[in-house]
Amino acid sequence: MKKSSYILVKLVEVAFIFFVILTVLFFLFRLSPGDPISKMVDPMLTPEDMAHLIEQMGLDRPLWEQYIIYVKNFFTGNFGFSFHYGEQVSTIILDKLKWTILLFTTSTVLAAFVGVFLGKIAAWRKGSSLDNVMSISALVCYTLFIPWFALLLLWILGFKLGLFPLGGVLTPSLWVGNASLFIRILDVLHHLMLPLLTLFIINLGSYLLLMRSSMLSVLREDYIITARAKGLSEKVIRNKHAAQNAALPVITSVGLSLAFSINGGALTEQIFTWPGIGKELIFAVSNNDYPLAQACFLLIALVVLVANLIVDLLYAWLDPRITY
Amino acid sequence: MLNKYSLQRFYKGWQIFIKNPLGKTGVIILVVFMFMAIASFFVPLIGPMYDPMTGIDPDIRVSTGPSLTHWLGTDNVGRDLLAQLLEGAKVAFIVGLSAAFFSIVIGTLVGMVAGYTGGLFDAFLMRTADIIMVLPSLVILLILASLFGQFNIWIIVFIIAIMRWPAVSRVIRSQTLSLKHRPFIEASRVAGASHLRIIFRHIMPNVLPLAFLYMTFRVTAAILVEAALSFLGFGDPSQVSWGMMLQWVWKSGHMFQAPYWLIPPGVCISLLTLAFYMLGRAMDEVLDPRLRKEGQS
Amino acid sequence: MALLSVKNLTIGYKTKKGLLKAVDNISFDLEKGSPLGFVGESGCGKTTIGMALMGLLPENAVILDGSIQFQGEDLVLLKEKQWRRVRGAKIAMIFQAAMNALNPVHRVEDQIKEAIITHQPDMSSADLTARLQELFSLVDIPVQRMKDYPHEYSGGMKQRVIIAMALACDPDLIIADEPTTALDVIVQDQILQEIRKVQQKTRTGLIFISHDIAVVASVCDRICVMYAGQLVETGTKKEVFTSPRHPYTRSLLGSYLSLDNLNDIVIPDMQESPDLLSDIGSCRFADNCKVCSGVCRKEAPDWIDISGTHKAFCCEPQIIRGSHGKT
Repeated sequence: MKKSSYILVKLVEVAFIFFVILTVLFFLFRLSPGDPISKMVDPMLTPEDMAHLIEQMGLDRPLWEQYIIYVKNFFTGNFGFSFHYGEQVSTIILDKLKWTILLFTTSTVLAAFVGVFLGKIAAWRKGSSLDNVMSISALVCYTLFIPWFALLLLWILGFKLGLFPLGGVLTPSLWVGNASLFIRILDVLHHLMLPLLTLFIINLGSYLLLMRSSMLSVLREDYIITARAKGLSEKVIRNKHAAQNAALPVITSVGLSLAFSINGGALTEQIFTWPGIGKELIFAVSNNDYPLAQACFLLIALVVLVANLIVDLLYAWLDPRITY
Repeated sequence: MLNKYSLQRFYKGWQIFIKNPLGKTGVIILVVFMFMAIASFFVPLIGPMYDPMTGIDPDIRVSTGPSLTHWLGTDNVGRDLLAQLLEGAKVAFIVGLSAAFFSIVIGTLVGMVAGYTGGLFDAFLMRTADIIMVLPSLVILLILASLFGQFNIWIIVFIIAIMRWPAVSRVIRSQTLSLKHRPFIEASRVAGASHLRIIFRHIMPNVLPLAFLYMTFRVTAAILVEAALSFLGFGDPSQVSWGMMLQWVWKSGHMFQAPYWLIPPGVCISLLTLAFYMLGRAMDEVLDPRLRKEGQS
Repeated sequence: MALLSVKNLTIGYKTKKGLLKAVDNISFDLEKGSPLGFVGESGCGKTTIGMALMGLLPENAVILDGSIQFQGEDLVLLKEKQWRRVRGAKIAMIFQAAMNALNPVHRVEDQIKEAIITHQPDMSSADLTARLQELFSLVDIPVQRMKDYPHEYSGGMKQRVIIAMALACDPDLIIADEPTTALDVIVQDQILQEIRKVQQKTRTGLIFISHDIAVVASVCDRICVMYAGQLVETGTKKEVFTSPRHPYTRSLLGSYLSLDNLNDIVIPDMQESPDLLSDIGSCRFADNCKVCSGVCRKEAPDWIDISGTHKAFCCEPQIIRGSHGKT
């Protein structure tokens, strides 16, 4: 298979899985207690508005027609109206999406790079006190309960030491005024610090441990002996030969741990009131804002699937043994 | 199955396990928590004041720090924190172990069937497993909570089990695949044993140790998810879990003023998860000789 | 002057059960241009010798005694940093291709380039490419395959790459450790011819290690037979192959079926592995030896000369010097 057809197949797969999720959600919706109409249409609307909305979403039509309209609505970005905000759900989530992506990508990438780097060193010096310290710390990080850890950081660094803001993504006063772009970016970064630190530390643990165990098994391979036999220095063997091979399984694991990271991301957003999709979902669920909740959920599912796809492709690109 | 040979193997495995520092620490921590969980049955008997859910100290109106009557202090309605902590231990064990147990039951069944039948059905099962594994459990639980309302603890356990079986099934499947071609399986087939019989009588006993190993990792995931769910306010309101405690401290705005309330539940969650994880890693070494340190064997 | 001179080399492995003597008092000389073969079953210590000559012994190995004289230095005394100067440049190793000896994520040409640049960092890129082409043609690999990855090569080709990599810096000594094991017979033959050709062309010193005496005989001029960490017989190829004297060498050769001597087939019995932990003063082969006598279990064996170039390590001179013994 050529590269392009491989990517195509993977895309089709993602689309298919997403369809399945969409369909399952559709049916769950119908199966849950309460009637669908009250779930999709804000009962606070006027009867005319309600009737209009019902017609638009086809809630008075037979089931299979509803399904078609449902799917069509999804692809045209029509998720209905949020009960709480009274706006189009699509505008709301699009606004929130960027914050989630900012937090998520920065924390994952940083944690991955630092974790891989430290894991490489820990494995190289297996059994030394450095290794023990790193491994145990990584283990502790891995098992920390995210909300608790986030609250701790918030308390110590935010409240007690006053180093960082206690939540949100920006300081309104700065933005309402005529602050320059530079200041605004700094402001966002300042707010990003605590949630980023939380997610970074939690994820760091697992990457470190993964890389460490991957390195340990690579170091037992024969090509490491060959590298020594060529007279290469230890550093070159470690970085060029061992680490490059050891990093590959770690990449696959990134995909698998995405679920864990997204859960953590949602919790972190909630605690730091970081206006992302995760927090929105939690908010929507607590307030029975079904259209919003549904849209957030589907978006998160999409992000997960796409992220996995990217990881798959990245791996296929990096490992020369993979044939398409 | 419980003959002298398997007892010997178990004993030998135990020796290796207990020498491992991870295994040792893990077991010690677990034992401490088990005592806590057991203690939770007796504490309310001391007095109605100590019931974790309803026991309000009439003399206390606000959250107070540690004192002689309340060793860890009280929450903002006057309930004893230590009692809550012990109750939380019980809940954590129940949730963790049952969710893990159910997920390995499902995972082992699926893994064995997939590995044994092979072909399209196997591919289908594994693809499904892959997809489920990728989905974030908390998010799924949230959307389900929004549709179906507040969950009872057992529903939560069940849903966690459904989300977490794929990891087990993969491992069981590859083990089944390697067992499938062993001579004794061929022999039973030739002797006329039905497929079901082969799966349950011959393959299952051989994959069970592996299944139990992975159970420890499932426990950690289950405890963390339940805690997160309770923390967000979607847990079972009739159960006092550590996540619930954290929710109370957060929602009542005491998180900055009451470290005696904030810190213990979080520490407990982390320690218990850590203990199970260490247990799992130590068991890993027992089952996979390559991981053992040089000099042992 | 011999290229390599090993005297009384004794190497042990530290294990949970005690010190395992893998190599016991081995001495031999290697002349440039005269390939030397080491034959023996698994565990006899031949690979350990190979590793010792490269300084690649594992962590739990300990050189208990002896010296390895090479180009005026005693390799036993070298520190890791000094070894890096030697490995690849002066002494190189040809590993089994069946092993994962080539890094799967690097291109083949890059791996060979690395071998050269490590020791000759100032080589110009033009010279580098020329040298690569020279090496590839030396081992008969088409130049267009240079940019491929190892998994795209067949077993035989991988082995050739490993040979090329060993030759990259023009070393004075090459150690080939089971280079043809796990290759099928036809490819095996090709590789052996390759090695012979290369050795004759470059006149490098060659030590060939194998469990297969026929393979060793096709490449080497002299053969050393090892058992349980000790040398039991050394001689020229002709001497050892056509008139083996030590009972172990005989049983090694007796495990061969030849179309010529179908009537003389002797299937050797199952042998027990020798115990390398205890330091028995007597002959280690005694338990499996067909002509073992009472003396063999009491006294230590000694070297018995059969000719100027041929000698065997045994307690019973009559067995060694007598005519073809009955088994």
